[in-house]
Amino acid sequence: MSVLEINDIYKSFDDLKVLKGITLHVDEGEVVAIIGPSGGGKSTLLRCATTLTDIDSGSIKIAGIDLDYKDKKSIAAVRGKFGLVFQNFNLFPHYSVRRNITEALVSVHKKSKEEANAICDELLAKMDLSDKGDAYPCNLSGGQQQRVSIARALAASPDILFFDEPTSALDPELTAGVLNVIKELAVEKMTMVIVTHEMNFARDVADRIIFMNGGVIVEEGPAMEVINNPKHERTKAFLAGY
Amino acid sequence: MDWDQLLSTLKQLWQGFGFTFGIFAFTILFSIPLGLLVARGRMAKNIVVSSLVRFYISIMRGTPLMLQLLLVYFGPYYLFGVSTGSIQWGPFNYRFIATVIGFSLNYAAYFAEIFRGGIQSMPIGQYQAAQVLGFSRMQTYFKIILPQVVKRVLPSVTNEVITLVKDTSLAQVLAVTEMFTVAKNLASSQVSVMPFIAAGAFYYIANAIVEIAMNRIERSMNYYS
Ligand SMILES: Nc1ncnc2c1ncn2[C@@H]1O[C@H](COP(=O)(O)OP(=O)(O)O)[C@@H](O)[C@H]1O
Ligand SMILES: [Mg+2]
Repeated sequence: MSVLEINDIYKSFDDLKVLKGITLHVDEGEVVAIIGPSGGGKSTLLRCATTLTDIDSGSIKIAGIDLDYKDKKSIAAVRGKFGLVFQNFNLFPHYSVRRNITEALVSVHKKSKEEANAICDELLAKMDLSDKGDAYPCNLSGGQQQRVSIARALAASPDILFFDEPTSALDPELTAGVLNVIKELAVEKMTMVIVTHEMNFARDVADRIIFMNGGVIVEEGPAMEVINNPKHERTKAFLAGY
Repeated sequence: MDWDQLLSTLKQLWQGFGFTFGIFAFTILFSIPLGLLVARGRMAKNIVVSSLVRFYISIMRGTPLMLQLLLVYFGPYYLFGVSTGSIQWGPFNYRFIATVIGFSLNYAAYFAEIFRGGIQSMPIGQYQAAQVLGFSRMQTYFKIILPQVVKRVLPSVTNEVITLVKDTSLAQVLAVTEMFTVAKNLASSQVSVMPFIAAGAFYYIANAIVEIAMNRIERSMNYYS
């Protein structure tokens, strides 16, 4: 069953056509990596799928729910079904790590404080941050902050997780910790769509790789094949840079 | 040095200080929420609303506060023939009420620009993160945005509050018997500058207290950056 169904979506900003007919289906438990040069529309695609930007045409379905930008109920329903991890974390700086993770559980999903804290403890342990619940984001390393933001995205048990370059804002020595957490999630069969520039990671963790350029999917296929044996000239040229 | 006279001067100034403090407290109470509202209007997508609010702010900041006070006080009668002489609300007559209205409208404009700066300095990622987590617009504003904005604007707000303490002396133009008016009357009846110096000391001490209080609030928010 497809957790994410993106069908032929188009998106322009004024005169700039950013997405020109993108179709992407992601099955339950599947990990899809999206690669491609900057400006190719990868972030815009994620923003469209995560209710942050509306689309000009096409359709998006998440966990069986049709995303209708004009219908607040549909947007609200979809928002409980996915998590999004940003490149620069976007943690809430005035909240402790614990509150970053639990606040939406309590005030959006109406869970009790005890329930939310139990979920939080479990996630912190998984992220190897058990002792950081009371810390504030500003006192954590970038890698720790990103792991907190992954925990926050996981808190409401989403059906799918989106990552937009989760390690691009990190010092190189901190990326491994974050990538390992994502690898663990892949082992647990978490459905994920990951925009990344880490080619080795993409090849190791993804079932399928999508190469996007100029607002279209240029090439897609099993991870090994795309990375080791790209078919299109654009893909070859792009991968030659790594 | 006439100690009795000094003591009676201080006593009368202290009584006047009651009104000074009243103007100050009511202005803070009304102008800060109003300023938030004005800031929202200034950032409204509706061009009519945002232009009107922009005009309001420019008038409030571009004309003397003293003139605005006079307008609020005399306006109802001169413009509409409404007599305000008999208005009395507890210990407050219309002179005092007009002063508070004038100050609140004026300070709301300054606070609005400070708040707008603070709100617009918030990174868009904070809104996006709140949005995808499912927070409503209200929750996003009150839980995520506003608390951070408060921290950002606090130093500028402190400046305005200190200015306000001193600006209360402008109420003399409406003959409100706040501390400055009292000092002026005492000075001329005693033919002495001593009441002015004493009043100056009062303002200075009041602002020292304001600074200590604001510093505390600022420090209480230092737990994050
Ligand atoms: N909100 C926006 N308004 C105008 N142009 C935008 C906006 N967001 C993205 N773009 C443009 O869309 C193009 C694709 O951007 P993006 O999706 O960020 O690409 P990528 O993530 O692949 O680097 C770029 O040319 C970018 O300038
Ligand atoms: Mg991007």
